[in-house]
Amino acid sequence: MSSVDYILHESSVGYAVFGIKLQSDTVGARLKEVQDAHNDLARFGKMVQLVSFAPFQGASQALENANDVSEGLMSDYLKTVLESNLPKSGKKEKKKVTLGVGDKNLASSIKSGFPGIECETGETSELVADLLRGTRMHAEKLLKNLQSGDVSRAQLGLGHAYSRAKVKFSVQKNDNHII
Amino acid sequence: AGAKGGQRVVIEPHRHPGVFVARGKEDLLVTKNLTPGEAVYGEKRISIDTPAPISNDAATNGETTPTTTKTEYRVWNPFRSKLAAGILGGLEEIFMKPGSKVLYLGAASGTSVSHVADIVGPTGTVFAVEFSHRSGRDLINMATHRTNVIPIIEDARHPLKYRMLVSMVDCIFADVAQPDQARIVGLNAHQFLKVGGGVVVSVKANCIDSTAPAEQVFAREVVKLREERIKPKEQLTLEPFERDHAMVVGVYNRSS
Repeated sequence: MSSVDYILHESSVGYAVFGIKLQSDTVGARLKEVQDAHNDLARFGKMVQLVSFAPFQGASQALENANDVSEGLMSDYLKTVLESNLPKSGKKEKKKVTLGVGDKNLASSIKSGFPGIECETGETSELVADLLRGTRMHAEKLLKNLQSGDVSRAQLGLGHAYSRAKVKFSVQKNDNHII
Repeated sequence: AGAKGGQRVVIEPHRHPGVFVARGKEDLLVTKNLTPGEAVYGEKRISIDTPAPISNDAATNGETTPTTTKTEYRVWNPFRSKLAAGILGGLEEIFMKPGSKVLYLGAASGTSVSHVADIVGPTGTVFAVEFSHRSGRDLINMATHRTNVIPIIEDARHPLKYRMLVSMVDCIFADVAQPDQARIVGLNAHQFLKVGGGVVVSVKANCIDSTAPAEQVFAREVVKLREERIKPKEQLTLEPFERDHAMVVGVYNRSS
C-alpha cells in the first residue's frame, strides 16, 4: 500500500531526486537489520538511485529556496526539477507516481501543482522517514560531483543568510545592553 | 590578557576528549580556544607555552620566545553553563568530542555553544538553534568568528523548517526549558540524529511543572524520552551549580 517510487532530498547545495530500487516492507521497518542497512552506505546505495541532482546557482537562489522549503511552498526551481525528472503520469497508466517528501505542507503544494503525483511524508510513512534519513546521512557520497566539505560550507553560508534575514541583522546596529 | 601566573598552571586532558582541566591554585574546567586572542563573553583565558626544544627559563612571564608555541584555553564556568556543570558533576558520556556534529537546541547567545565549538574543533560542526531574535543576534555574531557554528534562528518545535541547514548529527544537546521539551528533542532526533547517537537534555523542573516535586518531574521526563525511542543512560542533578535541574543522557535507537 505505502510504496514509494521516488524521494525528494532538499539540502543546502540543491535538490536531489532519488528513485527507490528496493524497499523494505513496512512491517520490518523497525527491525535492527533494516535500520543497519540504512546506515551502511554500500547497502543503502543499492536501495536508492540518484535520478537527478539540481544544484543551486549561487547563494541568493539557495536562500530563496530555503525560505520556500521552510514555509512548505514549491518554488519555481523545485517545480522545474520535479517536472523534468519525474515520469509524466500518462492517461493510460492509472497508477500515480508516489514521491516521498519531508514535510506535509510541501507535499500538499506539490500535489496541487502536479495532479499526477501522490505524496507520502515522513509522518505518514516510516519508510519515507527512514529513506530521507538515509539520504541525509549519505548525501555527500550519493550526490555526484560533490566534494567532501561542500555540504557543510553551503550550510554555513545558508545558515548565516537565513538567520540574518530572520533577525533583520545589520552590522551597524549592535545591541546595547541595559544594565 | 591571560590569567596571571600562567606559568604555574598545568593543562591536563579531561576524561572527555576535547575538554581540559587547568590545574593551578584552583582547578578550572577549560576548552581549547578555537580563536586564540579572543574571548566570547568576557571569560578568562589561559595561555600555555607548549614545550619547545630549549626552554629552561625561570622568568618566562608570558613573553613569546620564538621557540615556544602558545595554546590558549578558555575558562568554562559551571555556574553559567549547564553542560559544564554536568561535566563537573561527573557525566559518564557527553557524546561530543573533536570531529563530532552536534545539534544544539536552545543556543541562546551562544556562550555555551562557543565551548561546544571548542570541543568539536575545526573538523566538527555545531548546529545552533535559537528562537529568540534578541539572543539570536549575539549568536550570529559569535558564529561569524567561529566557522564551525551554523546559526539557525528558528523554532526547535519545527525541525522541518530548518531541514536544509542540518546534517545527520552525533549528538543532540537541549536546553530549551519548555514544558514539551521531551517532544521537541524527539522531533529533532527522528529527523537528524544518527542511530546510536546521544541525547543530552538539561531539565529544569520548574519549567516543566512547578507544582510537582523535582524528582517526580525528572522521572516523568525520562519516561517521555523513552517514548521517543531514546534509551536513558544516566541522570544527574546539577547541584551545587543549579537548583532543581537535572541532566538526562540517553541513546537514540530506531529499531525496537
